Amino acid sequence: MDFSFNDTQKEVQNLANQILTDLSTTERLNVIDQQEDRFDEKLWAQLAESGLLGTSISEENGGMGFGFTELSLFIEEVGRTVAAAPVIPVLVSAALPIQKFGTPEQQKRLLPGVVSGEKLITAGLLEALAECPSAPATVAESAGKGFKLTGCKIAVPFAYKAERILVTAKVGDEVGVFLLDPQADGVELNREVSTTREPWYEVVLTGALVAEEDVLMTGSEGQAAALWVAERTMAASCAMQVGVADQSTKITAGYTCERVQFGVPVGSFQAVQHRAADCFIDVTCLKLTTYQAVSLLDSEKEATNEVLMAKIWAGDTGHRVSYASQHLHGGTGIDKDYHLWRYCLWARQLEMTLGSSAALLAALGGRIAEGRAFAE
Amino acid sequence: MKIEFTPEQDALRQELRAYFSELMTPELTAEVSKAVGEGGGPLFWEAMDKLGKDGWIGVGWPEEMGGRGLSEMEQFIFVEEVMRAGFPFPFLTTESVGPILAKYATARMKEELVSKILGGKMMLGIGYSEPGAGTDLMSLKTTAKKDGDEWVINGQKMWTSLAHHADYIWLAARTNFDPEVKSHSAISIFLVPTDAEGYSCSPVHTLGDVRTNATYYDNVRVPADHLVGDEGMGMLMIFEQLNRERLSLVNVGSFLKLFNDVTQWASDTEMPGGKTVIDQPWVQINLAKCRAGLEALKLICYRQASEMTRGNLAMEDASAAKVYGTEFFVELYRNLAEVLGVSSTLHRDSKGSVLNGRLEELYRTASIITFGGGTNEVQRDLIARGGLGMPRAKR
Repeated sequence: MDFSFNDTQKEVQNLANQILTDLSTTERLNVIDQQEDRFDEKLWAQLAESGLLGTSISEENGGMGFGFTELSLFIEEVGRTVAAAPVIPVLVSAALPIQKFGTPEQQKRLLPGVVSGEKLITAGLLEALAECPSAPATVAESAGKGFKLTGCKIAVPFAYKAERILVTAKVGDEVGVFLLDPQADGVELNREVSTTREPWYEVVLTGALVAEEDVLMTGSEGQAAALWVAERTMAASCAMQVGVADQSTKITAGYTCERVQFGVPVGSFQAVQHRAADCFIDVTCLKLTTYQAVSLLDSEKEATNEVLMAKIWAGDTGHRVSYASQHLHGGTGIDKDYHLWRYCLWARQLEMTLGSSAALLAALGGRIAEGRAFAE
Repeated sequence: MKIEFTPEQDALRQELRAYFSELMTPELTAEVSKAVGEGGGPLFWEAMDKLGKDGWIGVGWPEEMGGRGLSEMEQFIFVEEVMRAGFPFPFLTTESVGPILAKYATARMKEELVSKILGGKMMLGIGYSEPGAGTDLMSLKTTAKKDGDEWVINGQKMWTSLAHHADYIWLAARTNFDPEVKSHSAISIFLVPTDAEGYSCSPVHTLGDVRTNATYYDNVRVPADHLVGDEGMGMLMIFEQLNRERLSLVNVGSFLKLFNDVTQWASDTEMPGGKTVIDQPWVQINLAKCRAGLEALKLICYRQASEMTRGNLAMEDASAAKVYGTEFFVELYRNLAEVLGVSSTLHRDSKGSVLNGRLEELYRTASIITFGGGTNEVQRDLIARGGLGMPRAKR
């Protein structure tokens, strides 16, 4: 049982922290948020230059070949700086399954361009009221050697810019995982305005054609592959929430130590300290459940319960820390010239994406009732 | 980072689980149920003796002290399993005071007491609180004055739990009376034998049916080597001891078992109409809340055991464990009691009681956990200061 980071993990963490705090400053984010798309191209290029985009992409595909732990620590730093860098959809939801399940041809075609920052790939894991990616309502039917997809994906980040969009669909009684070309016939992209302003799309599929070379996984292992993607994406969202909530708590503690009322810093009042201390405790719980899920997934161990629990904590901690941070800032927190507001939006987006706490408590409860979640 | 037990640690857990299922005979279980959480009966001492002889109590202690030389993690695993088994293990003596005593006591006392502790042959009572000194411990009034080769102790202590089974009281007393000297360096720790002349103990009966005590010190004389550490070092040892106590207090062993027992009960118990208790959605939600909360607490404990192995136990982490753990327990007991329904209010001796009446009893005993071992308000102060760099709060 080892909770410490090894040298490689510390290096990734430090490198990410350095680049992100240097480049993704509040001033820079103010500029980015004036853009049509919340995407920091300069930062993305620098993350590519430093090798970080290839953190867990194999060396033969141009990456550094580290594990999911290293990638999650990088993502935590992105959360800490609320940077405009779509690391989860590109590096986790799309790149990892291509590396794991893809043919050598698919890997060569898509992964080196991700590492170099020249190509974006993304994933459409959610459907309205069908938020479990391994049980999609979208249907795929055979069409020659490929498939035709019909259905609707929502909350797909950067769909218009993506070379391919990883989607799941029902194939008869089974589930398939496909790499959809957003330019293909039968694909309609409709812009959504997300709370963080990350560019999201509704992707409407009307017999959208997926060519044979873009089929990632079908057959009896398709559902397990879809779950594999879902669990890693959930764990990565938790890791980003760790960064968001931890930094939000630190910003709040710092602010209350400077803000003077009644002649003293408000942070010297017990009532203020105690609310901040509760944030510290929430962040601790989120961090540990997240690291456990990440560590198990990194070793390819069964981690369904652990991922559910981490994401429940990500929802609860995000919610409580966000409101406590705003409350303790008393006004300053909502000023868009100050940096806290972005943390609140990301906390919310991560909370509600891939299962709210209530939905996941029900899922965990179901597993407990099935005798699959006794406490070890 | 690898947040999994090593194969050796997994094997140790299995070994201990098998060991305790044999140790906890129905007779021993019946005996320890009579005196909640405190042990002290003949079968209890027999079991302690066996635990000592089999080398379990000191599994994580250094070999030169008579332990097995494994790490704090293995020690924590042992305590988790002993708690899971429902044995009232005197963890304050072995896990909390013991290591501090081993570090600071004089050679003679150390030699005598460490082997007794690891041999399962003694318990200590902790004498900090007084009628007028609880959270504000530094205002304590019990005095110890040097007289030749002896210390003479006078005063009264409150909530001296386990004193009626203890061989020694680990006592905090004022040893410096110079008003210029800060309380922080005016307090010292003594080992007071409970058979010393002038010592007396009277019971305090509590809501949880747990006996605690008031203890009195009327010109109690102890030899000079019963002073632990240097004169005036008391508060330092108290902080160190309390950090360890806070971790021991929230050990999850017994709660993992409680959760599993209620889950099993809800799966096995049919309701009128044929469905089982666990078929109800709200029951599943209650259990899921408990499960997710326990997981976090378990990891907090494991991380601290792993940090202690590396020689660090940060104040804010010990305090966070204590606040989170104790407030979570209160919710846990409620969520689990709701699953049992009205039967959760039946005493274990009653007809119809469920799971040996544990939730009825836990509701009563849980009233102390949020303030015992350092009230949670002060723990939050410590978290804000140590973990978030906020200023020392005015009290």
